Amino acid sequence: MNPLAILAALAALVAVATLLGLIWRVRQGKVTAGSGETITAADLASDAPLGASATLVQFSAELCSRCPGTRRMLSTLAADRPGVEFLDVDLTHRADMANRFNIMQTPTTFILDRSGRIRARIGGVPNRDSITEQLNDLTGRNNVRIAA
Amino acid sequence: MSESPRSTGIDPRSPRFGASITGILLLVVLFLALAGAATAALTLLTAIAALFGWGAFAGVRRHPYGLLFKAAIRPRLAPPAEIEAAGPPTFAQGVGFAVTAAGVILGLFGVPYAVGIAAALAFVAAFLNSVFGYCIGCQLYVLLVRVGFVHVPEAARAQ
Repeated sequence: MNPLAILAALAALVAVATLLGLIWRVRQGKVTAGSGETITAADLASDAPLGASATLVQFSAELCSRCPGTRRMLSTLAADRPGVEFLDVDLTHRADMANRFNIMQTPTTFILDRSGRIRARIGGVPNRDSITEQLNDLTGRNNVRIAA
Repeated sequence: MSESPRSTGIDPRSPRFGASITGILLLVVLFLALAGAATAALTLLTAIAALFGWGAFAGVRRHPYGLLFKAAIRPRLAPPAEIEAAGPPTFAQGVGFAVTAAGVILGLFGVPYAVGIAAALAFVAAFLNSVFGYCIGCQLYVLLVRVGFVHVPEAARAQ
C-alpha cells in the first residue's frame, strides 16, 4: 500500500474507534424498562430486606473500577430517602445470578418497586438525576425542580 | 507501601496516559504492517506485548508508563478527584498482553495479517480506554465469570 492509502486506513480505524466510544458513552447509564419480574431479597442472596417503597440493587464484580463510585452514589441516594434501601450484590462468585439476570457489564443497577418488581435496569454508571427521577416516581415524592 | 496491587490505589489518569502512548505505538505497528515492513512491525508489536506483560504480571503500579506519569506528568496536574484500585487496569494490561502476544505468535508462524489485526484490535481497546475512560474489566470480567472462566475459590471470599 502507498503511504497515503495507509494513512487513510489508519484514519478510518480511529474513526471507527471514536464511533464505538460515542455509542458506548450514550448507552452508559441509560435507563431501560426492567423485566417486570418480582424478586425477593433471597433471590439476591441478601440478608438485608428490600426497601418498603423502593430498592436500588447494584450488581458488582471484581476488577470493576466504576463500581465503588456507583456504590457511593446509590447508597447516598437511598440513605436520603426513607423507605428506599440499597443492596450491593457481588457477582464474582455468583455466575448463576449473573446468568439469571443476564448481567452483561458491571455495574448494572435494578430499581425495584415496593413489591420487589424490577421496574428499571441501568447498564454502566448510572446518572444521578435519572435515578432520582425514578425514585420520585416510586416513592410519590414530587420533584419541585421540574415544576417550571 | 503495601505490595498488594488490589489494596493500593492509583491515580485513574495514569493508565489513561499509558494507554495513549500504547495506542500511538500500535498505530505505528499497523502502519509498518500495511507498508510491508513485516519484520519491523513484528518487532515493535513484540515490544508492546512485553510492556503489557510487565503491567499484567508486575502490576500496573510498576509499569514504566505509570512511573513516567508519576515522575513527569502528575506533579503538573491537580490532585486526582478519586483514587482507583490497581486491579482493573492491571487486568486490562493482561487483556492487552493476550491480544498482542497472540498477534506476535501467529506472526512468527507466518499467519498473514495476524500482526496488523492484533494491533488494530489492541488499538481500539487502548483508544477507548485513553479517550473515553472505558474500563475493560467492568465489561469483560462479569462475562468471564458467566462462562465459568473465572473460578475464585470460596476461601478467597473471606479476605
